[in-house]
Amino acid sequence: MKVRTTTVAVTAVLALSLAACGSKGSRSTSGADQDQLTIGVSMSLTGSLAREGLLTRSGYEFCQQVINGKGGIPVGDRKVKLNLVFQDDTSSPDTAAQLIDQYNDKGYKLVLSPYGSAATEAAAAVVERNGQVMVDSLGADDTIFEKGYRRTFGVLSPGSEYAASIVEALHDLAKPTPKTVIFLSADDGFSKSVTTGGEKAARGLGMTVLPTQFFPNGASDVSAALSKAKALHPDVIIGSVHFVEGVAIIKQSKELGVRPQGFGETVAPPTPDFPQTLNELAEGVLGSSQWVSSGKGSDKWFGTSADYATAYKAKFGEDAQYHAASASAACLALVMAVEKAHSLQPDAVRDALASLDTPSFFGPIKFDPTGKNVTKQMSVIQIQHGEAVPVWPADVAQKPLIWPGAA
Amino acid sequence: MNAFLQSTVYGLLQGGLLALVAVGFSLVWGVMNVINLAHGAFVVVGAYVAWQLNEWLGLDPFIAMFGSMAFLFVTGYLVQRLLVNLVVNAPVFITLLLTFGLDLLLTNGLIMIYSGNYRAINTSYALKSLALGGVRVPVGRLLGCLLAVACSLLLVSLMKRTRTGLAIAATGMDRGAARLMGIRARHIYALTFGIAAALAGLAGAMLATVGTFSPADASKYTLFSFVIAVLGGLGNMYGALAGGLLLGLVESWAGQYLSGTLVNAVAFGLLVLVLVARPAGLLGRPFYESRLEV
Amino acid sequence: MAAESRVDVTGKPAAAPPTPADEPDGWRRLRPATPWAIGAIAVLAVIALQTQLYSGQVRTVSTVLMFIALAQSWNILGGFTGYASFGQVAFFGLGGYSTAVLMAKAGLSYWMALPLSAVIAAAFAAVIGLPLLRLRGHYFAIATLGVAEGLREIVINVPRLTGGGAGISIPVVGKHASTAYLGNDTFYIVFLVVAAATTVLVGVLSRSRLGYGLRAIRQDEAAAAAAGIDTTRAKVTALVLSAFCTGLVGSVYAFQQVTIYPERLFDVQITLLMVMMVVIGGSGTVLGPIIGATALQALSEYLRANFTEVHTFILGAIIIAAVIILPQGAVFFIRDAWRTRRLPLLDNVRTYRL
Repeated sequence: MKVRTTTVAVTAVLALSLAACGSKGSRSTSGADQDQLTIGVSMSLTGSLAREGLLTRSGYEFCQQVINGKGGIPVGDRKVKLNLVFQDDTSSPDTAAQLIDQYNDKGYKLVLSPYGSAATEAAAAVVERNGQVMVDSLGADDTIFEKGYRRTFGVLSPGSEYAASIVEALHDLAKPTPKTVIFLSADDGFSKSVTTGGEKAARGLGMTVLPTQFFPNGASDVSAALSKAKALHPDVIIGSVHFVEGVAIIKQSKELGVRPQGFGETVAPPTPDFPQTLNELAEGVLGSSQWVSSGKGSDKWFGTSADYATAYKAKFGEDAQYHAASASAACLALVMAVEKAHSLQPDAVRDALASLDTPSFFGPIKFDPTGKNVTKQMSVIQIQHGEAVPVWPADVAQKPLIWPGAA
Repeated sequence: MNAFLQSTVYGLLQGGLLALVAVGFSLVWGVMNVINLAHGAFVVVGAYVAWQLNEWLGLDPFIAMFGSMAFLFVTGYLVQRLLVNLVVNAPVFITLLLTFGLDLLLTNGLIMIYSGNYRAINTSYALKSLALGGVRVPVGRLLGCLLAVACSLLLVSLMKRTRTGLAIAATGMDRGAARLMGIRARHIYALTFGIAAALAGLAGAMLATVGTFSPADASKYTLFSFVIAVLGGLGNMYGALAGGLLLGLVESWAGQYLSGTLVNAVAFGLLVLVLVARPAGLLGRPFYESRLEV
Repeated sequence: MAAESRVDVTGKPAAAPPTPADEPDGWRRLRPATPWAIGAIAVLAVIALQTQLYSGQVRTVSTVLMFIALAQSWNILGGFTGYASFGQVAFFGLGGYSTAVLMAKAGLSYWMALPLSAVIAAAFAAVIGLPLLRLRGHYFAIATLGVAEGLREIVINVPRLTGGGAGISIPVVGKHASTAYLGNDTFYIVFLVVAAATTVLVGVLSRSRLGYGLRAIRQDEAAAAAAGIDTTRAKVTALVLSAFCTGLVGSVYAFQQVTIYPERLFDVQITLLMVMMVVIGGSGTVLGPIIGATALQALSEYLRANFTEVHTFILGAIIIAAVIILPQGAVFFIRDAWRTRRLPLLDNVRTYRL
């Protein structure tokens, strides 16, 4: 009897004391202080996307440093400093969504996207419900922009452009012009968007598209797809892949003696790890890049693409590639929108983003009604002497395409 | 026909590498009844050690692998002696959770040190291949596969012919009796764990030579080890080899003749079928199946 | 050598570690109705808590409630019988995908899809239960793991139905939406109801004939069979119940997430978390999974918020320490401390070390 009474009493007291602390609602001040703008970022710092997540974070951090180094964002008559808050979503989309919700509690109405399409898509749904605003740096899957969301804006070219740009570059530059192409694709949403876009472009340019071979996302053994491709003797092999599958295609092609005129791969070749892991095997591989250091356009914060590349290397000691640049550009778009809106209020910033039309070190930034940055063109790079060299389109090309590309 | 031969050869070579990954896992499970969820992390640590030696001293991976093995042997010995031995008599979940914690510790330690970059060890020969008729045999994978076979043979002769090996086997069967015979079980367990970790290190060095690695790969290798150990069965040193080769073959054939995305589905389907039809695995001994473990 | 005499062939102490049959003493001295009263107050307290939380905190606590429900589900089979299902996430994923497909493709309302999804998960468990539950120990664990991984691959390979690797979205706005999105507050209540229901189920089970049968199986399956327990039937029933609850949770989770992906819905980490929560809390008990899930989830949230770079590293270290200090689970640890009036911090090491 005694036990019962005490237990019940303790529990009741506990319940009441819980009920007594704090009050429900949504704080709206701390994210937008007088002289500081806090932006929440959920990022994959551990887990399967840690590498890409850390690169993306560098881009965001670099942006913060540059903006604050120039005194902050002019909003009306005052200057507002950027304060980026990072939390680790352990590469899982549900945690990313949860973190965005937590940022909303703290009044962080402006957010920058996590790495990758899955996490960005999860975050976009939350952003929409909470009336937050998100600029997407590296979630490229087209489906993010097909949901009717009005508060997510992507500075990067969408997934359907990745392989398509390689196909167009080959059509424009390669002599002899390749006639048959085969796509080797991972089976996640982003890679499939890439493949569909690439197939469409190739057919449009009169190439023969051989049956696409799929393998599991993240596969380190793609030998079966390669031996099937080998039997079809394609002129070009294009991988709609991430890093691991991209390296596997090149390494295992060498092992299995698959020798097309050349290889193209979407996201792997522009990363510094690609030539480092593959050495001479990487030579001649084409890749599509959201950004190259010879790009045209400039803005008042970062200057030109070349300025960006120089300053980035000075800070981090490694060459900037498109993950970081894309992240910086997303942050830049948000900064420009805040400046244009003369306000830190999310609705005003959203409207300013929707009507943004500006050149930048990243290329033009102008969003269509779905939130995609449509005016920007992807660049195509080729690995030449261990460096990713822009070869297409003509206005950013630094060296001619070497073709046939395969060593 | 050529395609069939090619996919068979490639599958066997891939399977050999996988067997090398799993053999240590299977050994620890069989002898100590410990499921080491940190095994994949050991493999990745091995890859990093070999890579680091290759960077610093320019060592060939087939020499650097001895460095990996030595480093991991010491690590494994100490982990067992200082940590796992503390709870080795507890229900099996406990060691499982302990090694899960260890896995988090190692994987994220590697991210903190090496920042999650993808890496590989480059050699002039590993990706070359011998052409036998129309079939190509990649050199690096061939060497890795031969190493796996050699390790299995060596392990068997160690277990059968040396006092230490017999002590390990005896401790695995009945620890109480083994201790009464004067076997220092604490040391023997640590030794077993060390050997298993060293084998993981060896596998890591090989994988770094033929493919890429990053800390995120650890869980993948643990899962492979799990599947292979069960396919092959416990209590038989050839079990891991058989399981690995079988898995490699099946995955390769599935990729060749079904859709490439069905590879894993077929592998796991096979696993469940083998378990249902022959619970002790292909070469396992019934003793290990009936052993009460939870 | 005294310790050695207690060790049998398998290296397991013959004098078994604390078993679920000894529920903590506190419980037994209470009147039968008391745990229910405490439970009801706890539920009310959680509802009261909700009124005090910001919207995003509501979601964070919802996740805790979700893991309580998952841990309890795992407890039904793993905790009571010792059959460790390492593929429990299969039922979670199946429940989630059933809901998504039923809502997106068949246009069912959520309140129809929810029970149906749980039934589908339970039916699947019944089918795989008979062949798999013949396996013992690790072999059962690995076979269920195989089922979960295989199921994920199947989901990936029927993109027309499930969206494949690209994931599937439940329509929540516009005219295709069969049920409007519930919002963080409602999901909180739904998760709470599911968590409370699974806890009640475990509570009822622990005092039922079936529950005693399951514990007997854990002690010694052959002896249990000899004592007249239909072990196969008991085990399959437990698996089906456990799958039903897990499928229910998966269904709520899927609707909460809107877009779901096979990698996450069949993530082996989720199974590992369930196991860990039950073991750290105290397996085979009613309170244990609640304690384990709350503690672990709160800890990892706290670490993530405060140690952005190294939180997983610290979590790993804490898990190792926790496992060494309280391998029998928090509930039993507290009971022993209560009985002996001292904190037996290193006793376990003395018992379990080599």
